[in-house]
Amino acid sequence: MAKSRGAWVALGLLLLVPGLTACTNNPYAEADDQRKILYKSYREAPRTLDPAVAYTTSAHAITGEVYETLLEYHYLERPYVLIPGLAAEMPTRQEIDADWTLYRFALREGVLYQDDPCFALGGEGRTTREVVTADIAFELMRLADPAVNSPVAEPLSNIRGFAEFSRRLVEAREGDPGFGERPVQEQYAAVGPMEGVRTLGRYGFEVVVSSRYPQILYWFAMPFTTPVPWEAIAWYDGEAGRERFADHPVGAGPYWLALYDKHARFVLEANPNWYGVQHPEWRAPGATYPDTGEPEDYAAGRLESSVVGQPLPFIERIEFRREKESIPYFNKFLQGYYDAAGIIKESFDKVIHEGALSDDMRATGIALEKSVEPSVFYIGFNMEDDVVGAPGGDESRKLRQAMSLVVDTLEYTRLFSNGRGVPAQSLLPPGLYGYDAAYRNPFRQLDVERARRLVAEAGYPDGVDPASGEPLRLTFDTSDTSAQGQLRFKFFTRAWRQLGIDVVIEATNYNQFQEKVRNGAYQVFVWGWFADYPDPENFLFLLWSEMARSKGGGPNTANFSNPRYDALYVAMKARPNDAVRLAEIEEMRAIVEYERPWIELTHSEAYSLYHGWLTHVKPFGMSFPMTKYTDLDPGLRARRRAAWNEPILWPLYAAGALVVALLVPAVFTFLRERQ
Amino acid sequence: MLAYVIRRLVYGVGVVFGVLFFLFVLFFTVTSPDDVARKALGERVPPAVIEQWKASHGYDRPLFPGPGAWTENMLFEHYRRMLTFDFGNSDADDAPIAQRLRRGMVPSLTLTLPLFLLSLLTAIPLSLLVAFFRETYIDRLGVVVSVLAMSVSILLYIIGAQYVVGRLLHWFPISGFDSDPELIVRFLALPLLVGVLAGIGGDVRFYRTVFLEESNTDYVRTARAKGCGEGRIMARHVFRNSLIPLLTRIILAIPFLFMGSLLLESFFGIPGLGAITVDAIQGNDFSVLRTMVYIGSLLFVLGQIVTDISYGLVDPRVRIE
Repeated sequence: MAKSRGAWVALGLLLLVPGLTACTNNPYAEADDQRKILYKSYREAPRTLDPAVAYTTSAHAITGEVYETLLEYHYLERPYVLIPGLAAEMPTRQEIDADWTLYRFALREGVLYQDDPCFALGGEGRTTREVVTADIAFELMRLADPAVNSPVAEPLSNIRGFAEFSRRLVEAREGDPGFGERPVQEQYAAVGPMEGVRTLGRYGFEVVVSSRYPQILYWFAMPFTTPVPWEAIAWYDGEAGRERFADHPVGAGPYWLALYDKHARFVLEANPNWYGVQHPEWRAPGATYPDTGEPEDYAAGRLESSVVGQPLPFIERIEFRREKESIPYFNKFLQGYYDAAGIIKESFDKVIHEGALSDDMRATGIALEKSVEPSVFYIGFNMEDDVVGAPGGDESRKLRQAMSLVVDTLEYTRLFSNGRGVPAQSLLPPGLYGYDAAYRNPFRQLDVERARRLVAEAGYPDGVDPASGEPLRLTFDTSDTSAQGQLRFKFFTRAWRQLGIDVVIEATNYNQFQEKVRNGAYQVFVWGWFADYPDPENFLFLLWSEMARSKGGGPNTANFSNPRYDALYVAMKARPNDAVRLAEIEEMRAIVEYERPWIELTHSEAYSLYHGWLTHVKPFGMSFPMTKYTDLDPGLRARRRAAWNEPILWPLYAAGALVVALLVPAVFTFLRERQ
Repeated sequence: MLAYVIRRLVYGVGVVFGVLFFLFVLFFTVTSPDDVARKALGERVPPAVIEQWKASHGYDRPLFPGPGAWTENMLFEHYRRMLTFDFGNSDADDAPIAQRLRRGMVPSLTLTLPLFLLSLLTAIPLSLLVAFFRETYIDRLGVVVSVLAMSVSILLYIIGAQYVVGRLLHWFPISGFDSDPELIVRFLALPLLVGVLAGIGGDVRFYRTVFLEESNTDYVRTARAKGCGEGRIMARHVFRNSLIPLLTRIILAIPFLFMGSLLLESFFGIPGLGAITVDAIQGNDFSVLRTMVYIGSLLFVLGQIVTDISYGLVDPRVRIE
């Protein structure tokens, strides 16, 4: 009996000891407290980390750190400015003829890839090798390879010979089934290089691009065009226990992916081979903290003398932990276990008061940064529709103008996004060349009376269609069937009801909606666009008739067609940012203002919270990470975490006392009865 | 005995076939191969890429057998893959499913095994205690608390514990997982606490009923009449003779330990098989979902057979014919 009692006590102790040692809410090892580790979270792991394919913010959070690009963006300057990355300087530009322009890049010499076993394919015992321009040419061929399925093949097809290379590759594979089994680098070599891509030795690189597409340079600042070593593609094929290349990036960036558990955690470690670490004496623009920025950067301490000119990166490790649920994620941020966070809707009112950080939050040293994203959300009209589109002539235009005058964007953002979002006056969001903060679109100012007059002039007095004697009936077509979506769309239909117009929401599934769009069987819809790169061309092309959805499935979903707009677009597209370009943009804006193919709604706005120990943080707006410019104070973080997370143990003792208080009378009763 | 096992196995095969068929029909009733492809590739991908993806994943075939497509259809391929244990790759990210199962099983067992043992070690002694003090305030309080505990949704336990224990009291991390032995205990503490609390009400009520039923039998009265101590009666006689209903409940639960816990893993960020299943549901990942459902149904059938066989081992009076 004594033996068995001893066993129970031992078991109790066994459970108690780990229980007591576990009594801390710190999710990280204490040994890491004093290290410069940046803690971030992710919700869903990226589907792929292949730089030719990855096209989501979550993927770019990794590929943007691991892969280095020829060009990159200046961290602080706005509007966005390109600077050299792996390129020793900005490329030279030479017009070959009216149709083609040549860009010549010079790659930095002596840049190494991260250490990786795949490089043993190039020689026994090798763990890295130098980055050469043939690796960039190889990646461009991958983008053209239909088997890679790159989502950016269309814009890159402005490179001379891009489509031709793709066709030759397909023909070779179809002509010889064994051809496709050969390693891809051999396949590419066998079908020959892309006509417009030429390597000049190990470090020179020329690319010939359609003169109508000077925006090509922005693509050289994205991971799609990064140098990729052929060894990585050959080695990481998913065979013999090796990972797939889509899960194992091999690059020359400031960080390398040390751990990739899609369901729990990613770890990026500073890359000791990165050119900024290997060659700080170069003081390369992409490896040195900048000394210029916007005026507010000085006020925000982002251009302090202690940091300007310092070699990058400051952070030694970036850890991503998976957080599927928003509330635990935000609570961990408040406890200091994440360094930065967005604001979840459940806590918005607690965190933000009248557009600024609440006093409680400020007291903890948390800072709020707002940034407008290069995006636009809008209500569109199908311009090929007889009632709301161009076939309806002047009357339809007046109808669109009237409908534009009654949609209250401020109220819309207040109701549906906690006031986040800049009311849009035109296609162009802030931060882009051509954006005019002072511009007020006369058809985007709330004016119900003027709208009623316009509806009457359009032939629908009080919104009544004279043909039927009933209120004019339009359809609002959407693939969003959610309850939240219905509420949002009802906001619009209620606004138009003020004019007597009956707009019916027709929510269908995605396939049915696509079918409607293909057949032109839609009238009013809501849509949005996030820019691939910060050039006005990437927004203004949304109304270029060549991009009409009805023509070839392009992103001009309104099917807007205006010869003057088209001519201006083509002229503007190929120009540098000068006064002529600005005038062209303003004329295009005036056409859209008058024709009203869209009712501009908002440019989305991100609110980000940062703890006080993070320094020189500036929201970038686009999906590419800028972690190498950020620094943190691990000592301050450890002290604040300790102060904020002291375990409160009295409820444990109280619960124990309650159990004893409940049991003691029962035991006494039992003993008394037994006697 | 052998004939019985074979008969049960045959029934089991029928059950598994039926489960697979219903899964296939239900999945493709609410979604389409296009949706699966779009979920995997994103909304901005051109239609040609969608078609290519469908062809490479076998989603371009007809759903059901028909003239000219008796084997070249998705239903046939669905059965072929499952019956040959060729799980293939995930629709969401093309990762091999077998590898994902192997990786996910460890975190799942790290949670479910201790949870299972702790639940038993807590619920059985508590039930014995409540039965021991039957018809006293301890018994009545135990029943009331058990019913209350059963009535509360596990989601409330999870959210409440994360807020109170993790956020306010700072005892344990709110969520997360790390295989580092130094950290794993603190990560598991809260899900284990929630798991035990959420299950204890039902367990205590069930075990208490079993123990009380047994303690009212003639042989227990005889033992009492002979002067046997109440503690000895509960531990030696009542507990041992209650093993059959206990085993039914316990053994049936064991196979599912491998499948993890859907809600606990999902909410506490434990990368086990339960979380993988939830991800597959949310991501329209048919390949992973059917694998998990298939394994779940196999384990269920296996659990039933093992339970029946164990009766004979525990109680020699039970004969399986």
